[in-house]
Amino acid sequence: MSSYFDLLYAFVFLPLTVLIYAIVPKKHKYIILLLASFLFFILISKQLVVFLILSIISIYLGARRLTKLDKELESKLSTLEKEEKKPLKEKYKKKKRLVLIAVILFNVAFLFSFKYLKFFLTNTNLLLNLLHIDYEFKIIKFLAPIGISFYTLQAIGYIVDVYNGKASSEKNILKLALFLSFFPQIMEGPIARYEETSSSLYKGHKVTYKNLCFGYQRILYGFFKKMVIADRLNILVKIVFNNYMNYSGLTAWLGVIGYTLMLYAEFSGTMDVVIGSAEIFGIKLPENFRQPFFAKNISEFWTRWHISLGAWFRNYIFYPVSLSKPMKKITTSARKVLGNHYGPLISGAVALLAVWLLNGLWHGAGWTYIVFGLYHFVLILLGSIMEGLVIKACKKLNINRENKVYRILQSIKMTFFVFIGEMIFRAPTLAVAGGMLKKMFTDFSIKNVSLSTLGLDIGDVIVIIVGVIFIFVISLLKEKNIDIRKKIAKKPIYIRWALYYALIMSIIIFGAYGAGYAPVDPIYADF
Amino acid sequence: MEKLIEILEELQPEVDYETCENLVDGRYLDSLTILSLVSEIEDEFDVEIPTVEIIPANFNSAKKIWELIEKLQED
Repeated sequence: MSSYFDLLYAFVFLPLTVLIYAIVPKKHKYIILLLASFLFFILISKQLVVFLILSIISIYLGARRLTKLDKELESKLSTLEKEEKKPLKEKYKKKKRLVLIAVILFNVAFLFSFKYLKFFLTNTNLLLNLLHIDYEFKIIKFLAPIGISFYTLQAIGYIVDVYNGKASSEKNILKLALFLSFFPQIMEGPIARYEETSSSLYKGHKVTYKNLCFGYQRILYGFFKKMVIADRLNILVKIVFNNYMNYSGLTAWLGVIGYTLMLYAEFSGTMDVVIGSAEIFGIKLPENFRQPFFAKNISEFWTRWHISLGAWFRNYIFYPVSLSKPMKKITTSARKVLGNHYGPLISGAVALLAVWLLNGLWHGAGWTYIVFGLYHFVLILLGSIMEGLVIKACKKLNINRENKVYRILQSIKMTFFVFIGEMIFRAPTLAVAGGMLKKMFTDFSIKNVSLSTLGLDIGDVIVIIVGVIFIFVISLLKEKNIDIRKKIAKKPIYIRWALYYALIMSIIIFGAYGAGYAPVDPIYADF
Repeated sequence: MEKLIEILEELQPEVDYETCENLVDGRYLDSLTILSLVSEIEDEFDVEIPTVEIIPANFNSAKKIWELIEKLQED
């Protein structure tokens, strides 16, 4: 088993876990989920499970220590006079901060060693070479445990929430282990907060007919997105990105648009399988996508695409950095000079830079990811600076910003910026990204545009177009708050099963598998 | 409350703050605007808004923001 799209997962691992979960007594159901989660992890990452266990133990001990310190402080405060309370509170704050920093560093050290050590050593060697220092570090690269980037963020979020008193520390280490390693989530998120999913994970729900139907329905939709759209587009994307120099700018555009659609189909499809899997157990995971291509601007796009990652960066980096004491001092001075609107933008910009640099690096150790982050930092900051001017200009020109045409133009502009961003994201090196960008804006010749050179035939193109329209219509209905699943559930049984059957058949017939196709590897699982 | 609505209108004039109940969820206030808002509220009402209180539930309507300010003033 290597991913959620492995047939072994959907037809053996998941049904067996559901079966055992259904027959085990309510109070032990969470143990079944924990065992399944560890089995899932071991099947993919084998002995690297030891790092997951070490991470869980560190988070557990850290959180319990924080709670103990809170209780100690509380009992001591009740016996003290008012003026003695403040220094004691400060003393405990320092103690708690030490625990928090130690636990975070311990977990980040794993992440760094697995993910960034090679990048760091390679670039240090380049720098030493530039400075004519005759020394070279030996490059070491470890194989990373699955989902380390996801569970590390979720674990840090939990310990920070406990530190801030926003989550209670879990007494039962097995329950905490389940929260941190729940198998549908561990590989690609969504990165959940403890208060969001924990009680549902531990409750031990009944497996109902409705949950089974809704869960598998969603899983099927995920398979459709991945196998019919993403795996088919993968051929085109690979060819264009690997040989862009042999193609015209128009073909490069085709590759870039294809990649953006592929990434959406692959990642949102994975989320459908993930959320659908959890739904079967009666567990509601947070949504990670909300029709991103309907966003008005790039800043909004990132609140609709990989929602849980954006929320994590907002809660644990953006606000803590921008509202830290030194930043607040800067804001106070800046407001006097730049006014109430633009003054706070300075601390906002510093925090935004931190968010997007980390966001880029989180996706991978490479310069393309760093540039991808900086690109979004610049776009979002400029958007915010310009917002006031745009509102004024529209007022002067009598343009209604809620007007449909204006909204569509906004979405087109936003999508254009998304394409460029995803091109940088996918390019193997910055040189390739630069080369492709140049082609896309300077070479409009029609050479090598024939489908055969792009690895597709007319049938593939029709399937992709129909598939994308299908996803677009479903997204449009969702955007209009129409609950399609509930509507389908109300239809007579023969219509429902005809729909399921059609979806299954479309995956079997139109799925891009077998000779000539190369399925997309789970993209986000590698981050 | 009037002063709060004044601040909000200066930052984002395209909203009816008497009725809107999804300021954050509806993307009327983005993170950078909230930052300006927090900074102005802290100055105007002499409170300190901890980062853990910056959640959609506290910022989705003028009424909710006002309740947060009152709560912080009492603390």
